[in-house]
Parts: sequence; C-alpha cells; structure tokens
Amino acid sequence: MPVSDVIVAGVGLHPWGKFPEKSWVEMGAEVAMGAVADAGMEWTDVEAMVSGAMQWGGSTGMRSGNTIAAALGETGVPIANINNACASGGSLMRAAYAMITSGMHDSVLVIGTDKSPKGYFPSVPVLADEPRPPVDMVRWQVGVPNPAYWALEMRKRMEAYGSTDEHLAQVKVKNSRHGSLNPYARYRKAFTLEQVMASPMVCDPLRLLEICATSDGAAAVVLVSDKKARRLGVSPLVKVAACSLASGEFGDPTIRIPLLAAASDGAATAPLLSESRLAAQMAYEQAGLGPEDMDFVELPDNSSWHELQYLETMGFCDPGEAEKLLDAGETALGGRLPVCPSGGFSSFGEATMAQGILQIVEVTWQLRGTAGARQVEGATKAITEVYGAQANNSACILTT
Amino acid sequence: MKQTPVLEGAFVSDPEPALVGSKCRSCDTVAFPASFTCPNPRCARKDVVSTPLSRTGRLASWTTVHFPPPPPFVAPDPFEPITVVEVEFASEGIQVVGPLAGASAEGLRMGMAMETVVEPYYSDDSGEVIGWKFRPAEGDAGE
Repeated sequence: MPVSDVIVAGVGLHPWGKFPEKSWVEMGAEVAMGAVADAGMEWTDVEAMVSGAMQWGGSTGMRSGNTIAAALGETGVPIANINNACASGGSLMRAAYAMITSGMHDSVLVIGTDKSPKGYFPSVPVLADEPRPPVDMVRWQVGVPNPAYWALEMRKRMEAYGSTDEHLAQVKVKNSRHGSLNPYARYRKAFTLEQVMASPMVCDPLRLLEICATSDGAAAVVLVSDKKARRLGVSPLVKVAACSLASGEFGDPTIRIPLLAAASDGAATAPLLSESRLAAQMAYEQAGLGPEDMDFVELPDNSSWHELQYLETMGFCDPGEAEKLLDAGETALGGRLPVCPSGGFSSFGEATMAQGILQIVEVTWQLRGTAGARQVEGATKAITEVYGAQANNSACILTT
Repeated sequence: MKQTPVLEGAFVSDPEPALVGSKCRSCDTVAFPASFTCPNPRCARKDVVSTPLSRTGRLASWTTVHFPPPPPFVAPDPFEPITVVEVEFASEGIQVVGPLAGASAEGLRMGMAMETVVEPYYSDDSGEVIGWKFRPAEGDAGE
C-alpha cells in the first residue's frame, strides 16, 4: 500500500521550437528551476532527481540529470537518468511516483530536455555490441522511416473502418486550433482542412501536417508527498492518482519501430498497441476511475493515426468509432472529451525526453484552472499517455 | 560484381527466393529475422531451428515513402518515392515488411497474393547489396 499520495507541487515549461543559440543544458536548468520555484521550494530542498537520458546529446546527454545538477550546483542527491524513447517522460514520472508512494523521498524533480535532430529520426551508430540481427540498420536499408510504420497501420484502418484522408486532416485542424491558443507551442497557426490536405504527402496516407515535427523542448515537474505538500501550502492539490508503465505483449500484430515483422493479424493473440491498452487499464485500476470519468485527454498524437487509435486503446470508444467522435466535435475544446487541449505534439513537435512531462505540465495547469484561452471548463480529472518506440507506454491520471 | 546480403541468413535465392526465419520446435512460433531463441514468453523449451517462410503471402498493407530516408538508406539522386509493403504469411502467422519490387504502388490491392524475390537494394564501391523484396504474384486474380 502506498504510504503517501503524490502531489504535483510545481511545473516548469520552456517554449518549444528550434533554439540553436541555447543548449539543452540551459533549457533543462531553466525548467528545473522554474518547477522548483513554482513549488515554493529551493534548489537545495530537492531530495532526488530523475532525468531523461537523451541519446541525441551523446555521452553527457545520456546523463542529463548529472549535467544539469553540475550546472545548477551539485547537492549529492540520487539522480537516475532514464531512456524509454518517446515514452521517457512517462517512465520518469513513474520512477518519481514510486519513490514517493514508497516513502523513500518527499520530493522528486522530474526533468526532460531534448534537442531532436531534424526530419526523420535517424538510427544511432552501430557499435560493437549492436544486437544481432542489426534490425535498426536493416530497416533503414529497406527504407522504413518511423512514419511509414504508422502509415501501414493507417491504411489497414481505412480498409477496416472506411476512415478517410479528411479524418486524418481533421485531427490536425482540431489540434492546430488548440495549439493556436497555447503560448508555449511551436506552431500556433490554426490550419484549415484545405491547407492540411494540400501539405506534401510523406508516407501515404500520412501528410506532412499530419505527422509531428521534431523539436527542441524542455519540461519539468516537482512531485511531493502529501506531507510535504501541506508544509509547502500547495493549492489547489493536483494529485497523481495513477502512474503506470507497460510494454508490448507477445502476439501483438503491431510492427514495432525498428522491427521488420510481427504476428500476422490473423494469428495475433494480443491487441494492436497492446502496451497502450495495458498502461491505460493499469492506470484506471490504480485510480479507481474509468474512461467515462475523464474530463479531457492528452494522448500521443505523433501522427493523426495515433490520435484515432489511442482513443480506442485508452478505452474511450470501440474499434472504428474514433472517427465518429472526431466528426461530432466531441474531441475538440468545448466538446464532451477534449483531446490534446495543449495542441498536442502536433503543435509542439516531439522532444522525446520532454514530451511526456509536457503533458503533465498541461494537465496541471488545466486542473489548477490556469490554462487561459484553452481552459477545459471545470476539469478535475484527466489522463495522459505517451507512445515510445519498441512498445513502451506510460499513462498518468491526475485529479483535483 | 560482389554481392552482399543486406542481412546475412535472412533469405535464400536457391532453389527459389524465400525469407528465412526461425521456428520453435516446441511451440511452432516463427520469428523473422531468425532469432537465437523463441520469443513466446510461455514457451519453456525454446528450441529453435532455421526455417524458410512460404514464398507467397497476402498483401496486408503498403505505403509510399515520398522523402528519402537518412543513411544507411542509399537514396538515388534524384530520389524516386519508394513503396514499402507488409506481407502476411498466414501459415507461419507472421507479417513482414519489405520494399516493393518495381517502382509503382499502382495496382496494389489489399489481400492480393505477393511473392518474395531477391533483388539489389543498391550498389556502392564495394559491390551490390541484395535483399528481399515483394511483388504481386504472377497470375494473381486477387482473391
């Protein structure tokens, strides 16, 4: 049994975009201090840190937490650097959550900072200990960039449910409208259906504006025990009611980045994106809540396909029904279940270590009622999910 | 010209082109590329042998990639869009991705019969890199 509730005491967010003049260390230090200040704490009060191990930052990037601590002043606290691809943010949240529910620490700083390469994410160099077979090399020689994996699934969805190009474009139209209301978003232009449909095809049926960009971004949160939250006078109390982490199940038909095969649809013994279903189920169970209790969702809209598919894997509708929610306007701000009121990764771009924490920052602001023009009125409960390569998935439920 | 397989042991050309995976003698799970062990978590014996996949499968999905992937993909200049297909091998219970042999995705239909071929991927100073591709099976009538 948990010995303490987990409270979000402070949050910090850097605007997302491309910042060639600024290092990821500076961005990470800025959000770390922002979150600590927002919690009403001092840097020296932080009891432990977890930070995204950023593969694009080389050896120091893999130990980003230590690098940031060295810049801001080393205090000797435990620091864990974690990489779970694009699900790193959620994985960091869960590590911090476990440290507080177990009574190990009263405050943990969670940091994600990232400068992502432009365009398709490249493979990392093959080293002597590259696993055999070296599938991440071979899939590039075959010519399968990440969006191609998503496009293969989307074409199946179109075949199975009659989803259209317009549905894919409407996801972007909606999320760009949300993003236009968020001063931290990289892209703040509200696109029309015609503009999205006119954007270049990347991996058909997915167009350029239906796939998230790769950004520089940083986000941080301070999680504290309920005891510490009372001492700090945190108000309103935004509680992390659940934080789960799941991986894929054998027999799942999803062909995983960077793999070349999966169980065939006919022989599958687990559902598509099994890790998302599992993470969501675990989170609902932990929180004692269900999808019907959620006021809004921040899901991983890495592409328009993801948004449609995740509405199903997260339990909000039956297979093939996501397009109906979209058509009815239910997933837009003002609708029954706003999806990605932040504007989503579609408006921010991926910054792999930080994007899961970005979602926590957004949900915290929403539950505090300080989300400005994109406020979901009266929101008290929300769920987040991130999608990571090689079947990583984390879900968090926040309540107030 | 020297020919190098894109992935050693993943396919054969003789007597007919086919993918080669691994099969567990205990639980029948097939993996591609071949694994040193069985990926079924409930299989305790994990006794794998090399196995050729059926030469022909069904088209499960496809996408045309309109921007050149980064290295180690070798993109011709000027770049021509490439089509990646997903082929289901029902008797092995597995679906596999590979390049479409021939440039155009026109005429592809879900469920059509696809056959495995071995063709060059690209050539460089050290010779030709060859690998598996898929193409519509000869005489396929669709269903």
